[in-house]
Amino acid sequence: MDEMQAKEEIRLIKAMLEKTKRATAESGTLFMVWGVLIALGLMGNYVLVYFKMYDWEWLNWVAVTVIGWVYSVIYGIRKERKEPVRTYIQTAARHLYIACGAGFLLVGIALPALDVYSHEAIVILIAVISGILFFVMGGIYEWPILKWFGLIWWMGALGMSFIKGIGIRTLIFTVLFVACYLVPSFILRSKYKKEQASK
Amino acid sequence: MTPDKFEPLDPVIHSQVRLAVLSILITARHADFNFLKQETGTTDGNLSTHLAKLEEAGYIQVKKAFQGKKPLTTCSLTEKGKSAFAKYLKALESYFPAGKK
Repeated sequence: MDEMQAKEEIRLIKAMLEKTKRATAESGTLFMVWGVLIALGLMGNYVLVYFKMYDWEWLNWVAVTVIGWVYSVIYGIRKERKEPVRTYIQTAARHLYIACGAGFLLVGIALPALDVYSHEAIVILIAVISGILFFVMGGIYEWPILKWFGLIWWMGALGMSFIKGIGIRTLIFTVLFVACYLVPSFILRSKYKKEQASK
Repeated sequence: MTPDKFEPLDPVIHSQVRLAVLSILITARHADFNFLKQETGTTDGNLSTHLAKLEEAGYIQVKKAFQGKKPLTTCSLTEKGKSAFAKYLKALESYFPAGKK
């Protein structure tokens, strides 16, 4: 064994680490599914408010959440059965999704239904959890742009707290959602496809 | 650097396929046989032999199960394996001149 051989072994170790990283890259599928569902929920909400059907708003969000959770659980089980390798990063990401999903359920539906706080605060709290989701995702997948989206969500949450009125807050939330959720979801998806194509 | 300063390399790990397998398993909770075969570019028989050596040394745990009707072999690194891999990396460092790692 000499320095050259040692270098060759280090190169092999790095290559294997890179291959595993590529094989377990985040596909962004769940991000996109939730993105589409929330976009539909926002549109449904707008229609219900337009027709002054305020009593049905909660049902709209419960439907979005139930469909999202059922899909996520089935997707998770099927993916776990098929995936040839499971990394610690994936395990961390999965726990993050579950934690944020539970957080969205609590702050978006359960706590307001229990009158813990006003409905006007929902979008602010959702923005805080979205910030956590993107910031931590950016950290664990070593993708700084996601951290920036996380910071924007937090700034948005702070900004919305200075603005009164559920209408304007919902509008800001919608802009934030398109710019800082749907856009990164599509970027994540296209990055994944490029990585898979280069394998 | 004189040869006596080189740290000895663990012979169980000092093989291209076994080192590749451990490098994959170090970041993975588990990996299946086909994935390891594909990424290490080896054959079924060759990989089985190397996995058996690693299992015998207590560095990996091999689980055999069925997924539907297909047999599924999954491997994961043991604590002993993690420690051996870390020691191996440290030993490898001794082959580089100081400050050139």
